[in-house]
Order: sequence, then C-alpha cells, then structure tokens
Amino acid sequence: MKNIRNFCIIAHIDHGKSTLADRILEITGLVRKASMEQMLDNMDLERERGITIKAKSVRIPYHSESGEEYILNLIDTPGHVDFNYEVSRSLNACDGAVLLVDATQGVEAQTIANANLALDAGLKIIPVINKIDLPGAMVDDCSLQLYSMLGLRIEDILLVSAKDGTGVPALLEAIVDRVPPPAGSAGEPLKCLIFDSFYDAYRGVIPHIRVFSGCVEPGDKIMLKSTEKIFEVEDVGYFSLGLAQSSALQAGDVGYIVALIRNAGEIHVGDTVVSADHPEVPAIPGFRMSQSMVYCGIYPIVTSDYAKLGAALEKFKLNDSSVVYEKENSAALGYGYRIGFLGMLHMEIALERLKREYEQDIIATMPSVIYKVFCTDGDILMLDNPSKFPAEGRIDHIEEPIIRARIIVPSDYVGPCMELAEAKRSTLVGIEHPDDRRAILIYDLPLAEMITDFYDRLKSVSRGYASMDYKLNGYRAGDLVKVDILVNNGMVDALSYISPRDNAAVKGKALIYKLSKVIPRHLFKIPLQAAIGSQVIARADIYPMRKDVIAKCYGGDITRKRKLLEKQKEGKKKMKMVGFVEVPQEAFLSLMKIEE
Amino acid sequence: MRGLYVHIPFCAAKCLYCDFYSVPGRLELLDKYIEAVIVEAHGYPGQSFNTLCIGGGTPSLLGPQNLEKLMTGLRGAFDLSGLREATIEGNPESVTTGFLRVARDCGINRISIGVQSLDDGELKKAGRVHDSPKSIDAIKLTQEAGFDNISADIIVGLPGQTRSSLGHTLEALAGLPLTHLSVYCLSIEEGTPFAACLPDDLPGDDEQVELFGRAAAYLQREGFIHYEISNFALPGRECRHNLNYWRGGEYVGLGAAASSHVDGVRYKNAATLAGYLAHPQGARIEMERLKPEEKLAEEAMLRLRLLQEGVDTNNLATGHGCELVAKLKERLDGQVAQNFLVKKGGCYRLPPSGVMTSNRVLAEVLA
Repeated sequence: MKNIRNFCIIAHIDHGKSTLADRILEITGLVRKASMEQMLDNMDLERERGITIKAKSVRIPYHSESGEEYILNLIDTPGHVDFNYEVSRSLNACDGAVLLVDATQGVEAQTIANANLALDAGLKIIPVINKIDLPGAMVDDCSLQLYSMLGLRIEDILLVSAKDGTGVPALLEAIVDRVPPPAGSAGEPLKCLIFDSFYDAYRGVIPHIRVFSGCVEPGDKIMLKSTEKIFEVEDVGYFSLGLAQSSALQAGDVGYIVALIRNAGEIHVGDTVVSADHPEVPAIPGFRMSQSMVYCGIYPIVTSDYAKLGAALEKFKLNDSSVVYEKENSAALGYGYRIGFLGMLHMEIALERLKREYEQDIIATMPSVIYKVFCTDGDILMLDNPSKFPAEGRIDHIEEPIIRARIIVPSDYVGPCMELAEAKRSTLVGIEHPDDRRAILIYDLPLAEMITDFYDRLKSVSRGYASMDYKLNGYRAGDLVKVDILVNNGMVDALSYISPRDNAAVKGKALIYKLSKVIPRHLFKIPLQAAIGSQVIARADIYPMRKDVIAKCYGGDITRKRKLLEKQKEGKKKMKMVGFVEVPQEAFLSLMKIEE
Repeated sequence: MRGLYVHIPFCAAKCLYCDFYSVPGRLELLDKYIEAVIVEAHGYPGQSFNTLCIGGGTPSLLGPQNLEKLMTGLRGAFDLSGLREATIEGNPESVTTGFLRVARDCGINRISIGVQSLDDGELKKAGRVHDSPKSIDAIKLTQEAGFDNISADIIVGLPGQTRSSLGHTLEALAGLPLTHLSVYCLSIEEGTPFAACLPDDLPGDDEQVELFGRAAAYLQREGFIHYEISNFALPGRECRHNLNYWRGGEYVGLGAAASSHVDGVRYKNAATLAGYLAHPQGARIEMERLKPEEKLAEEAMLRLRLLQEGVDTNNLATGHGCELVAKLKERLDGQVAQNFLVKKGGCYRLPPSGVMTSNRVLAEVLA
C-alpha cells in the first residue's frame, strides 16, 4: 500500500490535461505512442469540445528512478464548472493533485476553483506549468500568479511540455515523492467512495470506487449507505486500458465492483460502500444527490415517437445518472419529458447525445431554472416549468436562484465585463487584484441570466480572456413575470418563460422576431405574439407564401417533378406541428439562446 | 392516346435561365443526330401515335432538309396515320418561310414559338438571340404559311420586367393570330448563369405572382381558357400532346435526354450527345417502376394541374383497387377541408387562387 499513489490532474479547460495524461501513459510504457490518441477522452463529443465529461481512471505501473515499483492511479476529473460536484467527489478519491496551468494563459477561474476544491479535500498539490515549449510562454508570470493567487511555493513548481514530454519524467518522480501514500488499513471494516460509474449491457451499473479501508472480493455482500440496499459482489478489478479482473481490492486501491446493479438510479456519485456485515461504518461526508440546476422540456417531432423517446431516455440515464426526468404533457406539443441538468453545458451535451447516439428526432424548449413561487394563500411552490405557474392573481411574489460568480479578467477588459454583468441584474460583491494585470470580479447574479448567453457574451466582450466559475448562492426575490408565446393565436404552453418585468418587452420582441425568421411561410398568415397575461408585448406576422409552384411540367420528365414534391414533403416531416403550423427544429433551437 | 416526343438538343446559344438539355453551336452534328433518332425509332417498330411533339433545344435549327428527313424516317418506323396533332417548336430567328413550308408539307399542324417577351431589354438580359420584331414577324409568317394553330411561350419574372412591360408584351401578342399561350414563371435553376449571379433587377416571388395574376386575368379577358397551371388556350385549342402527360398517358421519347412512359415504367435517355450518337438504341435508362398506389397518386398530382377538368376519382387512367382510390380520396378530402381544393361530385380541382402555391397541396396529395 505504501507504493500506491492516487492522484488527479486539475486544470482550466484547454490547459492540456488530456495531453499530459497521454504523455504519462506513454512515458510509463502503458501505451505505445501510435495506439494513443488522447486515451482518456473517448466520447466523440468530448473530443469535439476538447473537454472531459465523464471521469475515467487508469492504473499505471511505474518503475521509479530509485528502482522501486509503484502503482499510480490517475483519476480523471471532469473539467467544467457545471460538474463541480463530480469534480469534488473525484478529488476525494485522491491523495494528491497535479495542478496544471497553461504558460501562455496563466491562472484562470477554474484553475482557482479546482485548486480550492483540492485544498478543501486535503490534497497535496503539485503545481505544474505546461506548454513551456510555446513562444508565448510566460513562465515567470505564471509562477507569480500561482504564488499570489493560490499561495503555492515557487520552488515547488514544475515546468513541463505535455506535448513533447519535457519535464514529465520529473513530474512522475514528484508524484511518487510528494503525494502521500494512502492511509487506512486492510484490516478495518470496508469503506469505499463511489466517484463515477458506467453502464454495461451485460453486467449492469459498474461503480468506480476508491477503497479507504478494508477489503472487498467476489462473494462479499456490500451495502450502499445512502439507500441501505445490499448487493452481492460478482467481480472486482482495476482499470488498466480496459477492465482488469483481480482477486480483491483493498485499502488504498482504485478499481471497480460488479454487483449486478440493474438500476442506474441506485448508484450515486459520492455515496459510500460498506460491508453488509458492518453497516455501522459511517458514510464519507459530503455526499449529496446531484442537483439539477437547469430544466427543459423535450418532445418528439412526430408525436407517435413518444414511446421510443422514453426508451432512449431510460438508456441514456444508465450512462449519465446525473440527468433526471419525468413525463410532461403540453397542450401544444403533446407528450414529452421534463429533464433536469447540472448546467447549460451539461444540457447541450446531453441533448446532442440524445440526437446523435440515441437517434432521437426531438425539439427542446427554452431552459428554465427552479423558481420559488410564494402564493397568496401561503403555499410555496418550487417550479421548474413556467407553464405550471399559478395564475398571476394567486402569486404573491417569486424568488429565483442566485449564483456567485468569480470572473477573472485582464485589467484591460474589466470595463466591458462589468458593463455586461450589470446588464444582467447582478450585484457586485467585490473586486480583487491578485496581480497588477488581472482582476477578479465577484458578482451575485440570477442563474436565469447565466443560462441564456452570459458565458458566451463574457467570452466575446473579453476577446476570450475572461474565465468564470460559479456556485449556487441561495434565492432572491425578483420582479418576474410569465411571458406566453402565441403562434397563430394559439398559446404554445411549452414556450412560456419567466422574465424580469423590466425587459420582458425587449426580450419578447427579440424572440418573436427570431421566430418570424425561422418559421417558414405557410399558405395562411401566421400571427406570432408574446403576451403577459392578456397584454400583448410583442407581435410579428408571417405573411402567407405566395409562390410555390412547378411552372414547367412538360417534356415528359415527370419523375423529377414528383421527386421535387416528395422532397418538399420529406422536409415537412422534420417539423413539429403546432396546431396547423409547421415549426422547424431550428425555431426551438433559436429560442434556447436569445440575444436582446 | 399515345404521344411521340423527339428532343432536338441544339441551340444557337444557351439562354441564361435554361437548364434543359441542349448544346450551343455544334450544328454540324445535326445530320448525324437525325440519323441516330431514326435508328432509335426503329427500336420500337410499328408503334402508333396520336400526337407528335418535336421539342428542344431549338428544333427550328433543323432547317427544311433535316426536318423532312426526320419526318420521313419517323413515318418509316411508326404508324402515324392516327396523328391528330403534330407540333414543332421554334425560335423566332430560325422560323423561316422555307422551314414552315416543309413543316406543313410533311404533316406538322401546330407551331410553338419561343417569344418569351416582346421587350428588347428583357430579351437581351435573358440571353435571347432575337429581338421583338423578329418574333412578331415569325408569328405572321407562320400564319401566312397556312398554320391556324400557333402557340407562343412567354416568361413572367424576367430581369427588368415590370407590370407595364409585361402589359405591352401581352397586348401585342393579343393582336397576333395565336391560339395558345404558355406563361411560365421564371425559376432560377441550379447550374444556370442566373443562379450563379442573381440579376439585381429580378422581380421577387411576390412580384412574380402579381405579374402572373395580371397576365392570367388579361388572357382570360381575351377569351383564353386557363386550362393548366401555366397554359392558356382558345376553346378546343389545348395542346393535346401535353394533355396526355397530365392525364397520366403513355408516350415514347426519342433523342438525347428524352423521357418515355410505357407500360407503367418511366424511362429517360442519357443526356449526352456523344453517347447518343454512338448508341442511339442503348440510351434508354429505366428511371422507375411505380407501385400501384404511387402510380395512382402521381396521376392525381398530374391531373390536378388541369384547372378545368381536375381529377375525377371515378374516371382514372390507372384503374386500381377501390381501396387505393379510397385512400387517395381521403387525402384529397383533407385538402378540401382546408379549402386548398374544391370538390364537385367526384371531381377535385385546384381553385384559381391556389395555382401559384400548388406545390404544397400536390405534395400532400402524393402521399
């Protein structure tokens, strides 16, 4: 056990975490260079977006310079602010963390957020400056930032180029020297932390665990602390490049347990696994169910595909237990589902995966946060779906979730970033100046503002330099109203949204304008309206189509003409019928992000 | 009714909007081409036809000798004793007295002239090689040569066209001895110069519909019947050859890129001049063999183009099971319910107001 090192790599997005992981696998000889293309990210989508969504881990045998054999367990962590809770759970499975900073970018918001999570988890931090081979590398500046912003000692900082391998052998030695070996003993009762899981069609949900004490082997009865459910262990093992079966896992180990757990809902990241013989062993603190922050409705384009969508969601949930969903019924769109996500990025990725991997033709409604609605009769309702809001007369007031955002921005862009934040109903909590070229702006702002386009706009007003991290910081009363959308004089309940009263008209107009551009012309005039109760705040009309005709139909080439019409008909199938109006997928998509 | 179509894919110059199969210049190949058509014709020996249409391209480029050779060849291969209508298309600049005399002598009884517009500015912008006096002359010459069934094509929505310029074109045409007019809305087809570089004075869709509406109203006042989406005729002067297409009838097409419809199968000859000249009898490619319900739907779609007669579900060329007809009626009735079609007895028609937006309705009727 003294020769095991459990560590992770934490970094801001794009600072080179996957490349460093690849280089470590290669230099330790676990993978040959040719067979490796960023091993740890294997979902297409992750590759496209350059981020890790699901944590994965790998056991690396390492022959140190001193001649000793070590086991390095590299536990991969998701790298986005939406997945903060998952990150903290992964960190709890480690004893040390490699904190990676891009030499050309410096310390960013998520560098700080992740470093603080790691310090809170009591991890030994190894600061590493990456990309030192690039011409724009600012090693001295980065070192100072690590010192001034995180209190890390300059002499502890390692310099590497994950790309060409420079400094990586020294980093491996530092991991062995500085990361403490796991504590705990195999003789004590079993205690493990679940930090991830995946679904196997034959063997059910397979949790990834870190064993803190005791030992687990096939045939053991284990209990999940959160539900007190008991399962029999069928198989245990390590993560090599695939799953490597072993006879047992003991204190200090990182590995997996197969226990025929059929229901993905049974396994929660952060839960504690103990022996059924010792149910009194306390849970590892910090567990909570993953919390949905953002909700939207999804509906099949063709109403009759509802059952197929349900089956796809069930399968999807097995792979991503952080989504929650329930049935929903819209008068305008028919039967669908309400889905909860950890954040906007999580939502975008999940919807994209449903379309691509699960081949679902769906439309999604505007995302919403959970509002606290105080009714005049004293009821307090937690509502994630604006169409479920009580009538205006029954509402006393509404509270909305507030986040505390930390925005790191170069001094030159402080002005535009503050201007943006102020336009989003924010309150400035404080400004910090960690060094003379950067500022940290701390704002409280409504989560609802954050989920529309705040992050994109922050990036654009700062030319990509600003970075941000946020966490939920309670509820605050707001002057909010429900805005309804009417298409062809019929209310589309699923498109209702909550808006601050002040800019309801501006936003409504922007939305109606956008809709009028993406809904095709029909044979009749289509009025589009946004309304608060019975008061119309925005209106646009889609004028009837006037020309849609095959004029020349002679010379006998009927096939081509008929195919033209068939193609037109095919295009129609990609649209959602809302009353008599055909609304294309893009229309719903365009509503997800509205610029004012 | 069976029709015979001969495609003449030669032009003096390609018009800027045209996406039909034709090659500019290459008139030296005309002789060989006519020989090839006759070889292809002998591949279907002894068949008889009721209508003939020689289209293009610019068939008037054949000149008197080649036209005579073609007609003699066709009569040698087929039984044309039942021929009731024989049309040849021509462009104003090549419709000459000599050509017309031969046409009349070898049995052609209808001439269709590509006028397109009587505004010289519009003609030039469209890449036409003739001017308006030439068109007027050609129509007069045709009448003088003894033809009493003369059609003209015009286009609405040409670059630079206005209500008044179209009005002038129509008024001038009304003074000429025409029995039939085809009025086509300009469509911008992929691969044409217009598509590559959209003219900035191109009337928009709404303007085009307005222009078409005015043209239709004017022609009806002049006694023409709007009998097909784009076609107008004096009573009894509808184009029988085209009527056969729209009623789901059979036809044989000869020449490069010509289409045929025989025994429920649709064919198209390869659109390559060199290939056709080398193997005239090997050009035909089967395009599709429709299932009964598709065939039925297609016939309905085509017949709905006929604004006067429409589609009568009790009187279809493709006689099919009542079950299929019932399904078709269901779709047609669905369109009637939304006022996109009108129904009288068993007969369904496009209302005049629905002509310019008929694609949506026809697509619904198809499946």
